[in-house]
Amino acid sequence: MLDTFEILTTSGVVLWSRTYAPIGPNIINSLIRDVFIEERIPPQSEDTGQKPTYRKEGYTLKWTTAKDLGLIFVAVYQSLVHLTWIDKLLDNVRALFTGLFGEELRKEHSSLVDCDKFGPYFDRQIQELERTSDGSASAPNVKLTPPSSSNDSAGEEPPLLPALQKPQRPLYDTSADSTPVPTPDTSRPTTPAQSHLVTAKARPGGKLSRRDRKKATAVSSAPASSGDEASTKRKASGKSAAKKNRTWGEFGAEEDDPSMVLDYSQADARDSTSETETLEEIKPETWGRKTGKGQFVLKDLDEEMDAIIAGQNAERQSSVGSSGIVGSSLGAIGGLFRNVVGGKTLTKEDLAKPLRGMEEHLLKKNVAREAAVRLCEGVERDLVGLKTGSFTTIESTIRTSMEKALTKILTPTSSLDLLREIQTVNSSGRPYVLSIVGVNGVGKSTNLSKIAFFLLQNHHRVLIAAADTFRSGAVEQLRVHVKNLKELSKREGGEVDIFEKGYGKDAANIAADAVTFASKNSFNVVLIDTAGRRHNDQRLMSSLEKFGKLANPDKILMVGEALVGSDSVAQARNFNNSFGPGRGLDGFVISKCDTVGDMVGTLVSMVHATGIPVVFLGVGQHYADLRGLNVGSVCRLLMS
Amino acid sequence: MAWYDSDSWATAAFAPHLSTIVITLLVAVVLPILLHQFVYKRATPTTLPSFLLLGPSGAGKTAFLTLTERRAVAAAPTHTSTSPLTIQALLPDSFTPESAHFRSPGDPAYERARRFLLVDTPGHGKLRHFATGQLVNPTHVCGIVFVVDAASVAEEAGLNEAAEYLHDVLLSLQKRYTNAKTSKGPREIPVLVAANKLDLFTALPPHLVKIALEKAVSDVRKSRAKGLKDSGVAMGGEDDGVDEEREWLGGGGEGPFEFRQMDEVGTSVVVKGGNVLGGDGADVRGWLEWIAEQL
Repeated sequence: MLDTFEILTTSGVVLWSRTYAPIGPNIINSLIRDVFIEERIPPQSEDTGQKPTYRKEGYTLKWTTAKDLGLIFVAVYQSLVHLTWIDKLLDNVRALFTGLFGEELRKEHSSLVDCDKFGPYFDRQIQELERTSDGSASAPNVKLTPPSSSNDSAGEEPPLLPALQKPQRPLYDTSADSTPVPTPDTSRPTTPAQSHLVTAKARPGGKLSRRDRKKATAVSSAPASSGDEASTKRKASGKSAAKKNRTWGEFGAEEDDPSMVLDYSQADARDSTSETETLEEIKPETWGRKTGKGQFVLKDLDEEMDAIIAGQNAERQSSVGSSGIVGSSLGAIGGLFRNVVGGKTLTKEDLAKPLRGMEEHLLKKNVAREAAVRLCEGVERDLVGLKTGSFTTIESTIRTSMEKALTKILTPTSSLDLLREIQTVNSSGRPYVLSIVGVNGVGKSTNLSKIAFFLLQNHHRVLIAAADTFRSGAVEQLRVHVKNLKELSKREGGEVDIFEKGYGKDAANIAADAVTFASKNSFNVVLIDTAGRRHNDQRLMSSLEKFGKLANPDKILMVGEALVGSDSVAQARNFNNSFGPGRGLDGFVISKCDTVGDMVGTLVSMVHATGIPVVFLGVGQHYADLRGLNVGSVCRLLMS
Repeated sequence: MAWYDSDSWATAAFAPHLSTIVITLLVAVVLPILLHQFVYKRATPTTLPSFLLLGPSGAGKTAFLTLTERRAVAAAPTHTSTSPLTIQALLPDSFTPESAHFRSPGDPAYERARRFLLVDTPGHGKLRHFATGQLVNPTHVCGIVFVVDAASVAEEAGLNEAAEYLHDVLLSLQKRYTNAKTSKGPREIPVLVAANKLDLFTALPPHLVKIALEKAVSDVRKSRAKGLKDSGVAMGGEDDGVDEEREWLGGGGEGPFEFRQMDEVGTSVVVKGGNVLGGDGADVRGWLEWIAEQL
């Protein structure tokens, strides 16, 4: 069953929520974090008709957004339960909520929206949808329920009447004695009588109640209504309804107000006779009248609800299809004008062409196609339905949005301060272990020695482990680096040594030995160099899992060169997955950045593929040519 | 046709024609109205003083914001923010703004002086550019409320995150002061470190929060100084001031960082405790008092 439904703003304020079974706030928080901020889960497009889902701790979350108002609608239910009507519910609630509170939400400098009266609307929606999902299995003709039929609200009157009243009857029942099937909670708000009363007051009294009374009599005894042939059926159903009432009364005996439920049917009976005995109608005690009124109000709520939903849908439709018929030339001129002046509501068609240009631009900057497409889709999702600001063109709007998207994707979630991490690990009495992996020839050893140099400058005792036991000359190469670093660090005060076991041994064992050696000899950082391997070679990649387990590095960095093109995505993905479940890369070192000029798209591709941040950039041939990532400057280069 | 002829424009302008009179009347009546409209349109939108809410994610920024706005006993439930939010709030009656001590409560200006804007920013690492963007050019900001979770500060990870963010905020304030063109320096922006969630059992008391944060910030400062340079210049990006020597937060010297050192650069830092949620209601008196002092 539905556990929780929440309506919250993008700024984090919960506007309205209904909880049936309490869940921790962390579940929705992690949805926001993973989906909206870090975009770990690729968001499915809403065109497919299915709402995107997110699973966490045995719960399934479905959500939808109203971008222009900055709203997120989230439904949470247990993954074990399969609820088919959640999509419909989200859509309807979105239409209802934006229709009812749209004005209030647009107010500036306020997060206050008085949503108390939304409760009954929501309850009706749930009941209706539950009923349709139940009913669709048993009786298909009941499918003609308000949400679908409401679209032609004008032509609802005489011909549809018998068909319409059929769905209204069960509706009547369910509202009276609450859907007996799954949870009594759904159809019964905590204080039903009061909330209905409040809304009842807000309504213009006499006229409506008379109409409702008429309807009620039509349903219960039906002498006045037009559908004659259905009257006998209705009577039968009326009886069955009464029966149901009784049984429900027994079940609901523990509830706080069972009398209300029972009285409810009585109220109906009274109302049917009200035309003959008006005096009698005044007499009945307040409970009956209240519930009777509450019920009428509910029915009225239905109509209002349908009207709102229909109106919202029509608005959406018109906004989509407006460009078609009405004077296309005039529209085009207006569009052009708007394009220059601003204030144009963006549609998919408007964005298609500039976005293709933007994609081309990104491809030229060496961003992998996959990443470029995703970025553009993200921008499109952001912008569709928005209004451009005054005196901004679509192009510039897309530009700023793309810059924002790039900043977001490149900015690391947590801090990447290597020195602090080393300090923290060392304070627990063991050496900090950092290992480096990558494809052949990207500069693993070079960047390793650059990192070593950086650490030596900060007076660390560094042990370099030569775990590349495969390529001839690898150990000698590292030995040369260590010799140079020793020379350089003499003045600086750090200390560096090499741990080598020759060629042909198992790299994982050497790494593990190096760590124990380091902790014995009070080195506080161990840097492990590994053999280069092709990312699509299963045989070589499989040994990484063992390596990760035995050496257990605090940080695994992958070196990728900025020169690589679309392959970067596959490289990053394969290396990230090669360490077995629960372990992945911790960061990237992008080498040879000085050779590509402003075509630094590889950074974006790699981060896009894995969501792992770029820690270092190699920008030259010297030991000191290692840099941290400056997100702003990279964005500027990419957009230039 | 010279200007003094009987049918020249100059003569017509001074002749008692009907059209001349009408035009003159129109100009005489409409011009002041238009002028008034223009001048007052420009002058009326008075900007309210605003307070920035900063701090790591999950510290309670949005909760504090809703509490101040609704002035209820408890804050509305909140989730992780993904976009900034600005609200207009009114100081509760029990607090008097510093600038309105002499005003009587009936004074309309008294009411105006109690109004302020609260700007909530998302605290997630990827979304801090909203906050930093505000800090670069804080025109109407008259105070920064840096909210930290006093319970998570007790742990290493939470402390580090808060300290790094606080370091960046203080550093950008200091930069703003040192880069100022005028000798007088820009307007002071005080910082309140609001130690939230004091109702939790594991929360540190405010003075311990202060000590822990000072220590962590000085660690951050040290490791930032030693850290690698930024890629900005090396990658061909224009020099935008991020190059050359790094800024050192607070007074010179290698000693431990203290919030007092920020006074020199026009930023006073105060640590006060409180709780937005909690069993026996919220307690944010200290923070509101601080806001009242700044107004």
